[in-house]
Amino acid sequence: MANRVRAAYRRRAPGEPRALGYLYIAPALVVFVAMVIVPLGQSVWYSLFSWDGLSVATWVGVGNYTALVSDPTLRGPFLHALVLLIFYSLLPILLGLLLAAAMSRVRVRGLTFFRTVLFLPQVLAMVVVAVTWRWIYAPGGLLNEALRLVGLDGLTHSWLGDFTLALPAIGVAGTWVGFGLCMVLFLAGVQTIPRERYEAARLDGAGPLQEFRAVTLPALRPQIAVAATLTIVAGLRNFDLIYLTTAGGPGNSTAVPAYEVYHRAFEIGQVGSAAAVGIGLTVLIFLLTVVVSRLVEGTQ
Amino acid sequence: MSTTSPRSSRRPFTPRALAAVAVCGALALAGCSAPGSGNTTQPKTKSASKISTDPSKAGKVTLSVWDQEVRGGQNAEITQLNKEFQAKYPNVTIKRTSKSFSDLKTTLKLALSGNNPPDVVEANQGYPDMVTFVKAGMLLPLDSYAKAYGWTKRYPATLLALNRVSSDASHFGEGKLYGLSQMGEYVGVYYNKTKLKKLGLTPPTSWSQFTADLAKIKAKGELPIQFGNLDKWPAIHTFGVIQAATAGKQEVRNLVFGTGSAKWTSAPTVQAAKTLQSWTTKGYFPSGVNGIGYDDANKQFAQGKGVFDITGTWEAATLKGPMGSSLGLMPTPPTSKGLATTGGESLAFSVTSKSKNPDVAAAYINFITNAHAADVMLKTGNLPAVPGKAASSLSSSSIEGQMVAGWQKISAADGLVPYLDYSTPTFYDTITAALQNLIGGKATPQQFTQTLQDDYSKFHQG
Amino acid sequence: MISSRLDRTLTYAVLVLFVVIALVPVLQIVSTALSSNEHAQPGLLLPDGLHWHNFVDAWQRGHFGTYLRSSVIVTVVVVVAAAVLSTMAAYAFGTMRFPGVSVLFYLFLLGLTVPEEALVIPLYYDFRGLGLTDTYWALILPQTAQSVAFGTYWMRTYFSRSSREITEAARIDGASTWSILWRVLVPSGRPAITTLVVITFMWTWNEFLLALVMVSSDARRTVPLGLAFFQGQHSSDVALLAAGAVLVALPVVIVYLAFQRRFIEGMLSGAVKE
Repeated sequence: MANRVRAAYRRRAPGEPRALGYLYIAPALVVFVAMVIVPLGQSVWYSLFSWDGLSVATWVGVGNYTALVSDPTLRGPFLHALVLLIFYSLLPILLGLLLAAAMSRVRVRGLTFFRTVLFLPQVLAMVVVAVTWRWIYAPGGLLNEALRLVGLDGLTHSWLGDFTLALPAIGVAGTWVGFGLCMVLFLAGVQTIPRERYEAARLDGAGPLQEFRAVTLPALRPQIAVAATLTIVAGLRNFDLIYLTTAGGPGNSTAVPAYEVYHRAFEIGQVGSAAAVGIGLTVLIFLLTVVVSRLVEGTQ
Repeated sequence: MSTTSPRSSRRPFTPRALAAVAVCGALALAGCSAPGSGNTTQPKTKSASKISTDPSKAGKVTLSVWDQEVRGGQNAEITQLNKEFQAKYPNVTIKRTSKSFSDLKTTLKLALSGNNPPDVVEANQGYPDMVTFVKAGMLLPLDSYAKAYGWTKRYPATLLALNRVSSDASHFGEGKLYGLSQMGEYVGVYYNKTKLKKLGLTPPTSWSQFTADLAKIKAKGELPIQFGNLDKWPAIHTFGVIQAATAGKQEVRNLVFGTGSAKWTSAPTVQAAKTLQSWTTKGYFPSGVNGIGYDDANKQFAQGKGVFDITGTWEAATLKGPMGSSLGLMPTPPTSKGLATTGGESLAFSVTSKSKNPDVAAAYINFITNAHAADVMLKTGNLPAVPGKAASSLSSSSIEGQMVAGWQKISAADGLVPYLDYSTPTFYDTITAALQNLIGGKATPQQFTQTLQDDYSKFHQG
Repeated sequence: MISSRLDRTLTYAVLVLFVVIALVPVLQIVSTALSSNEHAQPGLLLPDGLHWHNFVDAWQRGHFGTYLRSSVIVTVVVVVAAAVLSTMAAYAFGTMRFPGVSVLFYLFLLGLTVPEEALVIPLYYDFRGLGLTDTYWALILPQTAQSVAFGTYWMRTYFSRSSREITEAARIDGASTWSILWRVLVPSGRPAITTLVVITFMWTWNEFLLALVMVSSDARRTVPLGLAFFQGQHSSDVALLAAGAVLVALPVVIVYLAFQRRFIEGMLSGAVKE
C-alpha cells in the first residue's frame, strides 16, 4: 500500500495531490461500505419479506412496515421507546441544567474530581449496569431497603415485575447512566460564559431564576443539542439493558424496538419483521436527530 | 456497548444529502434474490450395522457439547460423567459449554444455524425448539443408534415419544428419534417440614387439602408458596400443575399434542387461570412475583421464607444443601380425577447434523444415559429417567428417596402431563408473557385463555 | 464578584449529592464482590472482611481468562485497524480536494446515524454464508467499520485544523504526502489519536449485541457476553456475580481513569458542532 501511494504521488507535482485522496480513503471505504452500507441495504431488502430465517422467504412488500403501526406487539415497543426517552434524555438534561444553574454562580474547586466521578457510569459495560440495577430493584434490594429505612414501607415494590413501574425503573437506570454526561457537558459550557454577563444581569436586579433564563440557558444551547442527540440515540438503542433485566417483561411492558430486532430475528424466526423494526428504528433516530438540530438552529 | 456511543450518534449535517446516500446504498443491492433461497437439506443417516459403537477407534476427537446443567447437582453429575468418559476414551476430548436454560434457549438456534455448531446439544422438546430444528435439518435422527445401543429397551416408550418428531416435521410425539434425555422430571410440591409442623399441619394428601392449607397458612401470617417469575418460564409450571388438577391429564395432553378438539378456552382451563390469579390476589405468593428471580425465590425458600415451593425435581439438590432434613417433596397432591402433574424428561441430548463425529457423539449420549450414569445421577441428587439399582437402597425419608418414590408413583399412575410450552412454535413466548399478565392482574382469566387459544388456532389452522 | 456563602454551600451540596448517586451502585458491586457468599445479598452492605477469593473463583468458574483473551484480541485489532484506516481517510478528507469528496464524507456521516440493530441481521446471514460466524472476523470487521465512521469524522476535524504552514514547509522540503502524514501530522496529533483510541477501545470492549449474535463457542466469547451467561448460571451467588462484574468493568475503568480527559472529550465530540 505504502509503496503504491508513494509511487502515485511521485508521478504528480507536489502541492496538487488530487486523485491521491481516493487511495487514502479506499481502505476505510471498502470496509465501511461492506460492513455498514451494504448490510443497511440488505436490511431494507429483508424487511420486504416474510422470512423465518430457514426456508425461502415470501414477498410481503410493505406489510412488515404497516404492521409496525397496526400490530400492538410492534407498536408497543416504539411507544415504550418514546417513554424511555423521558428518562434517558429529558431527565438527564434537566438534572444537568439544575447543576449548571447552581454552578454558574460559583467557581468550583475540584472540578476534575467531580467530572471524573459523574462521568463514570458512562464507561461501564451495560452488562455491569444491568447486574447492578437488577439488585437495586430486587424485592430485598437497595431501593426497597432504603424505603423501609425511612419508614416508607408502603412504597416498596417488586420494581421490575410491576407492569406500570418496570418501564420507568429501566428508565431510571438509563437516567443514572446519562446524567453525568449531561452534567459534564453543561459544566464545561457554564465555565466558558463570561462573568460580565452575570454581573450585568445582577445589576439589572435579576434573581437566580431570571439569571438562569437570561444568561445560562441561552449560552448552553449548543451543549443542550449535543446532550439531546447523544442521549436520544442511547435511549433508542437500548438492547443490552432490557435483554439482561426483564427480557421485555412483565408481559410485554418493557419490550423496545432494539430488543424486538434480536428477539424476532434470532429467537422466534420472524426475520423480515425484525428487519423492518431495525429500519424503523434507524428512521426514528434519524428524524429525532434532525429535529434536535433544527430546533437548535431555528432558535439561534 | 456504552449507551452513548457516538459511533452512531452523529448529529447529521445536511439531512437531505444523507437521505440521498441512503437511497444509493439500498439501490446498490441490484440483483438480490429472496432471502433463504439456499434450500435446507435433511441429513442422511447410516444404517445400524455401519455404526461404530467404539469411540476409541475414532482417532483424536474433540466433542463439543452444549448443556444447561448449571445447577449444583446436575453440574456435579455431568462433570463426573464427562470425566469418566474421557478417562475411558483418552482419544476423546469433551469441550463443554453450559448455560442457563434461558440463555441456552435464546442462543441455541443461532448456534445450530451457524457454521460451526456443537456436536451434541441439549434441545428442548416440542414445537418451539426440537420440531423447528428438525424442520431445518439441524438434528440427526438417532433411530439407527437406538437400535445399535438398545435405547428402546432402556427407556419406556412414553419418554422416548417426547423426543420423536414426525418425518415431515409437522408434529412431535411419534416418528424419528432425535434425542435422549438423562433425567426424569416432574413438578412437585416442596415443603418445609419444620414450618408445617410449627403450623400444626401435615403434608397434604389431596389437592383440596392442599388448597385449604394455603388459606390456613396465610391466616397464620406465613407465606404459603414461595415463587418468583421474573425469568418468565417458572409460571408455566405453576399454572401447569393447577391446570392438570382442574382439567385432568387427558385434556392437557390433547391440548399440547394437538389431538382432538380441545380448546384452551374450555371451562377447566379458565378455572385454572382463575385459581392462579386468586392465589396472587389472596397473597399466597410473595408480593411482586413477576419481579423476583427464580433462583432468588428458591434461595428464599431454602432460607425459610415460604411453606411450599412448587417447582421441578431439578431443584432438589440445590434446596437440600441449606435445608437438609427439613426439606420434603411430593408429587402434586391428587384430585378426585387422580394423580396428574406437569413433567416428563429433561432436555434431550441430540446430535447435530453437521457434527463430524456422529458416532462418537452418540456413544457419548449412550454413556451419559446408561445404568451407571443413572447411579451417578442419583448420588448427586438428581432423578434419572430410569432409576437403576441404587434407587432401591435410598432411604424413604431422604429427599432423593421421596423424589424417586414420587416418580415411580406418577409413572405407575400414568400421571405425567407435558410442559405447556411445547404446544406451538410460538407458545413459549405467548404463554410466558400471558402468564405474567395474568399474575400481574393485567389480563382476566378469560382474556388469558383467549390469548393462548388465538396462538393455538393460528398454528393448527395455518 | 463575590459569591455568597449560601451559593457555595448549595452548589457543593448538589454536587456531592450527585456524586453519591453516581457512586452508590458502583460501591454496591464492589462491596458485594468482597463479601463472603453467605453474607452477600443485593443491597449496600459493608463487606464482612475482604474475600478476595471471590475474584479467583469467578475467574476460574466463569472462564474469564478465556473471555479476556478473546476480548483483548478483538479490541486490539479493531482499535489499531480503525485508527490507521480512519487516520488515512480523514487525512484525505481534511487536506485534499478531489471530485466527490463531500459525497463520500456524507456517506461516512451516515454511518454514524445507523444503529447496529439495523445491520446485525444481514451481517449475521452474510457472515454465515461466508462460513465466518463464530470467528473473530465476525466481531472485528463490523466493529472496525463502525469505528471507522466515527474515526474519520473525528480525525478529519483535527486534520482540517492542522497548520498549513507546517505541511507546506514539509512539502517544500520534498516530503511526500505519505511522510507528511506519518512524520509530521500524526506525531503532533497524538492527543486526537489518543482520544480516538480510548473511545474505540471502550466501545469494542463493551460491545454486546454483535457478540451475542455472532459468537457461539466458549473459546471466542468476549467478556461482556461471558458475564451475561455467568449471571444466568450464578444468579443467586451474589458475591461471585459481583466479582465477575468487577472483572469485566475494571479494564475500561482503569483506562478511563488514566485518560479521563481524552475519554470525556471523545465521547462528547460525537455530537459537537464543527
